[in-house]
Amino acid sequence: MTFDRDARAALNDPQLRGALRQATTLFGERRRAAIASVADWEGARDRARAIKDETLLHLDRYLEQFTANADRTGARIHWARDAAEACEIIGRIAEERGARTIVKSKSMASEEIHLNAALARRGIEPIETDLGEYIIQLAGETPSHIVAPAIHKTRGQIAALFAEKLGIAPSDDAEALTAAARQALRRRFAEADLGISGVNFAVAETGTILILENEGNARLTTSLPRTHIALMGIEKVIPRFADLEVFLQLLPRSGTGQVLTAYQSLLTGVKRRPEDEGPEQLHIVLLDNGRSRMLAAPVTRQSLACIRCGACLNACPVYRQIGGHAYGSVYAGPIGAVLTPQLIGLERAAHLPYASSLCGACRDVCPVKIDIPALLLHLRAEVIERHAGKQRLLERLAFRSYAAVMARPRLYEWVMGIARLLRITPPLPAWTKWRDLRPLAPRSFRDEWRADAVDEKRSLYDVTHNR
Amino acid sequence: MTSPIIADPARDQILRSIRENLATSAPLDAMTHARRDHPPLVARAPSPEPRDPVQRFTTQLEAVGAQWTLVRGEAEAARALRRILADVGAKRVAGSDAPLVRRLLPESLTGLTRDELFTCDAGVTSAQWGIAETGTLVLESARERSRLASLVPPIHVALLSTRCICDSLGDALARVDPASHAITLITGPSRTSDIELTLVVGVHGPQTVHILLLEEE
Repeated sequence: MTFDRDARAALNDPQLRGALRQATTLFGERRRAAIASVADWEGARDRARAIKDETLLHLDRYLEQFTANADRTGARIHWARDAAEACEIIGRIAEERGARTIVKSKSMASEEIHLNAALARRGIEPIETDLGEYIIQLAGETPSHIVAPAIHKTRGQIAALFAEKLGIAPSDDAEALTAAARQALRRRFAEADLGISGVNFAVAETGTILILENEGNARLTTSLPRTHIALMGIEKVIPRFADLEVFLQLLPRSGTGQVLTAYQSLLTGVKRRPEDEGPEQLHIVLLDNGRSRMLAAPVTRQSLACIRCGACLNACPVYRQIGGHAYGSVYAGPIGAVLTPQLIGLERAAHLPYASSLCGACRDVCPVKIDIPALLLHLRAEVIERHAGKQRLLERLAFRSYAAVMARPRLYEWVMGIARLLRITPPLPAWTKWRDLRPLAPRSFRDEWRADAVDEKRSLYDVTHNR
Repeated sequence: MTSPIIADPARDQILRSIRENLATSAPLDAMTHARRDHPPLVARAPSPEPRDPVQRFTTQLEAVGAQWTLVRGEAEAARALRRILADVGAKRVAGSDAPLVRRLLPESLTGLTRDELFTCDAGVTSAQWGIAETGTLVLESARERSRLASLVPPIHVALLSTRCICDSLGDALARVDPASHAITLITGPSRTSDIELTLVVGVHGPQTVHILLLEEE
């Protein structure tokens, strides 16, 4: 299994583990400091989740409201059932608009549909402009973290990469490297004729889309080129403009530990006057790609409440050791382990629900209180359901006998007595491969308890009668 | 609706799938809803401490790495603005066409092409609102058309009336002009931590953000 192999490779990479430890620890500390400034953090989490639940229960209605309002303000709406359809829509718009230079700001949905590869097949590969995404695009890699895509790369690796690809003097000064990327990307922005972005929230009431960022590249991407394409999953919609407040309190604090990211762009349709700044055309692509299926049960539906902050990655003891790439999926970490099997099918990601210790740290930090462990267990149960056969029969038999014995105290004592006498240990090779199974104690707890109880009565008798 | 209603099989299929899947889960939802009390959907955040909003705002500006100068009246503002630009050695200054910017710095450049804008040393714009809670500037396209002047040059100077400082993000969201096709919230300089989480300011946007706060005479 590739997960097993890739996770092991990651564990043997001290540079990667050092980078991961430093980054996830720092993110965790910053998050804790940032949430302290919110008077009622738990209340904010509950409210945000309630808003998401309300939206998801009426998702059809809110999507209709959002698209009607966005359309009214001049945006063009496109619906994509799957990744191929979304890539086709975006590729067609790019061709119709005669786009030569495409700039792109960070979007996990675009990673999910493998948009860059699809556009490259048409000979128009977009340039990633978020610094982290730009680094991994130059390196020919994929993001390893939702909010910090190049978290796995060291300064030295980035310096060597820039020296090779940008022809700059090798420097491992973060400021010099950032300046080099700024220069290279400014030229691209100056000539860009199409911008592609993601969407953090879409407001049904007004038809507004909101994009959060720190660098300014999303602002450039959505305002310089004459065409802007925004790609969003159908779950990004929220009912009211005022609902943005609670999500803006939660998302930056949970993601990067900031009170607010440097920029929020709230875009409602296209410019009203020709002399205004901004694109002539705004295309909003709504992506299903397996999301509507998750509405079928409350446990899976909560996956759609995710606001992509990445806090669960930083908190996860598995992610902190192996990083994002070992998961072998676009979405990594705990949320990736539950989203991916639902998006691409359990048969193609059956290993992911097991890439967790079920410790629950992800649930504790999730700003919208997604019960990720419950989802992991739900998906594991589905994996088992599908693997009917001999192993399942044996497992069933074992658990039936276990239940029968545990429900009958006398039978239990008798069985354990025999086991103790014959020094039998249960045949559990998969368990004992990594762990020790302690041998049975010579006396059972029950025997000890009974003997103790007798002793205690005696000593109590001594105390009361001999004084 | 401005566009004609065209049959869109993708739209119909997605909406149908949403409805069918929600119908499947409806009985389970009825069970969970009976057990759970929902918190109020639109609860107001507790009101912030009753301190001077200007002082709260400037404290937050410093926390996010922005600079500020408080001036009284437009004459003093014009002098302060020229001093700020001279101190950083800005020669080519992009100005927005907002009336306040035209009055304070009439010689600033407007109507620039994309290429011209990329060669400017500084940009001067108005800001429609400030947010005391977070040290944030709010620029509305309906009243500030030249938002690129706040983004492309390495230095951004924003003019803001002290009367327009809101307490919280929620207050600002309630007051912004919905007729704007673009509302931009700016909190401090452009920043990145994508290289080993080392903070670097001025990656795609300005390295320096200076807020000129105008008090009425």
